[in-house]
Amino acid sequence: MSMTNLKSILKKDSRLAPGYILLLIWLLFSIVVIGWIFAASFSTTREIFTNTLFKSGIHIENYWNALVHHNFARYFINSLIYTCTSSIGIILISSPAAYVIGRMEFPGRKLLINTFLVTMSIPMVMIVIPLYAVMIRLKLIGSMFTLIILYIAAHVPFTVYFLTGFFSTLPKELEDSALVDGCSLYRAFWRIMLPLAQPGIITIGIFNFMAIWNEYFMALIFANKAELRTLAVGLRSSIQSMRYVGDWAGLFAAVVIVFLPTFILYILLSQKIISGITGGAIKG
Amino acid sequence: MKSKRKFIMVCIAPALISFLIFFLYPVLRTFLISFYKVKGIADGMSLWEYTGFGNYIYLKDSPLFIQSFINMFKIWFIGGIITIFFAMLFAVILTSGVRFKVFWRSLIYLPNTISAVALATMWTQYVYNNQDFGLFKSVFRALGIHVLADIQWTSPQYIFISMLIAFCFGSVGYYMLILLAGMEGIPKELYEASKLDGASLFVQFTKITLPLIRNVFRICIVLWTIAVINFFVWAQMFSPWPDPNTITPVYYMYSVVFGVGTEAIPTNVNVGMGAGVGVILTIVVVVLYGVVNLVIRERKLEY
Repeated sequence: MSMTNLKSILKKDSRLAPGYILLLIWLLFSIVVIGWIFAASFSTTREIFTNTLFKSGIHIENYWNALVHHNFARYFINSLIYTCTSSIGIILISSPAAYVIGRMEFPGRKLLINTFLVTMSIPMVMIVIPLYAVMIRLKLIGSMFTLIILYIAAHVPFTVYFLTGFFSTLPKELEDSALVDGCSLYRAFWRIMLPLAQPGIITIGIFNFMAIWNEYFMALIFANKAELRTLAVGLRSSIQSMRYVGDWAGLFAAVVIVFLPTFILYILLSQKIISGITGGAIKG
Repeated sequence: MKSKRKFIMVCIAPALISFLIFFLYPVLRTFLISFYKVKGIADGMSLWEYTGFGNYIYLKDSPLFIQSFINMFKIWFIGGIITIFFAMLFAVILTSGVRFKVFWRSLIYLPNTISAVALATMWTQYVYNNQDFGLFKSVFRALGIHVLADIQWTSPQYIFISMLIAFCFGSVGYYMLILLAGMEGIPKELYEASKLDGASLFVQFTKITLPLIRNVFRICIVLWTIAVINFFVWAQMFSPWPDPNTITPVYYMYSVVFGVGTEAIPTNVNVGMGAGVGVILTIVVVVLYGVVNLVIRERKLEY
């Protein structure tokens, strides 16, 4: 790199200095907060209060405490079951609908798309009361099944909407040739179109996974019993008791347990996640 | 042809049925319940007691409910300005040619991927903590800014603003991504041509960027509105029991229907009143959409 080139780069960067400063403040704040929470989760409560983190080495027992004594192992497994089952269920219900809406003409098609669009802005408070009543009458309160069905139903409209755009961009020839070859419509969809839509399905799948993992309102209402709780609801119900017994180190370990899975997923897949979000929102 | 029609029906049915059962039916029923006094959430219609607009009149005269609405409006308006301003600022910074753009973009979006419960716990138990280890406390003390170091962030006086800051911090990244995608769609030639004409960065922003991302901006406001209407988890994390400083309509509804008794909220549950809150919020959404559509008209052609 020649000297003049370097100079022009430096000059350009100095114009951007205020921007860099703002970004660095954001970076510093994020590192300090996340770093401190991590450090505190491996220290003792006494060290937290005296600002001497790590003084007596690393205390993994905070995690053991949170997982075993405060039931976070159970919450973790629950969250995993809710999230995985409903993420798959959403795709199974949404992709055939999205395929048909995206590629075929039929009466009511436009109405269907608009209905799904409007559904996304209905406040959750409008639907929880009757659903709770129904679940009680069906004796489904107290079963993990309840929250799974609710998560599936709640995410189907957006997923159909997202995948419709995806299916409609696939080339038409593939389908036609499959049908000429005597493939049934079902088979053409399952064997040819669904695999082709895989990138879109994975994107929306990750997106739904994170949304459900972090969901709180419905989980609080429909699964607020020790054996049914999700991590988010479990954390919130444990905060008061952990503070009361003075187990602050355990509290921060619990926070790490709650955010680590999506944090790691995000670090590994941030490009995919970000493209999914902008793709979905801009089209809307 | 017949088999094709059957195929379409088979494919649509599950999604349509889930919509009918889990959206259409509950919405209609919530609307209906709001005109009745209902003691138990699972009570059948025979136990409902018709009150006309009774629930709405009660809500209108309830100071706590009115306060919850004021809080929500403040979050929508003040929080909206803060969030969209910073989202826009970061989007402009990232499109101005900074290095490691992809990294910065991921970093600013990061809080959106963390559970709001975990995020709120980090804020209330660490950043705002009034003990010596609290982040704001120790940083402002080290910098010698005692005015800020002495603030008790979670005291009734400051709790609303603390909650708002934390919520906005967690939201900025999402709106930044959307604005960024809009800005990246603007042809580069426009900027180059205006640069030749001697336009400053500020002029470029107000004359090119802003008018061309109009529709994206509108989407941001709509999404922000939905987020604020459903505002609940942050209010509950900052105030474990309903508190006039932080309560929002959804928190109010949750307390009324699922029973968190406080002095201001009647202990005898009335599900109809909770339903009334839902109906009012739905009307607010419709009205706000109307206002947004009037103020920022959609334009088909962007460039």
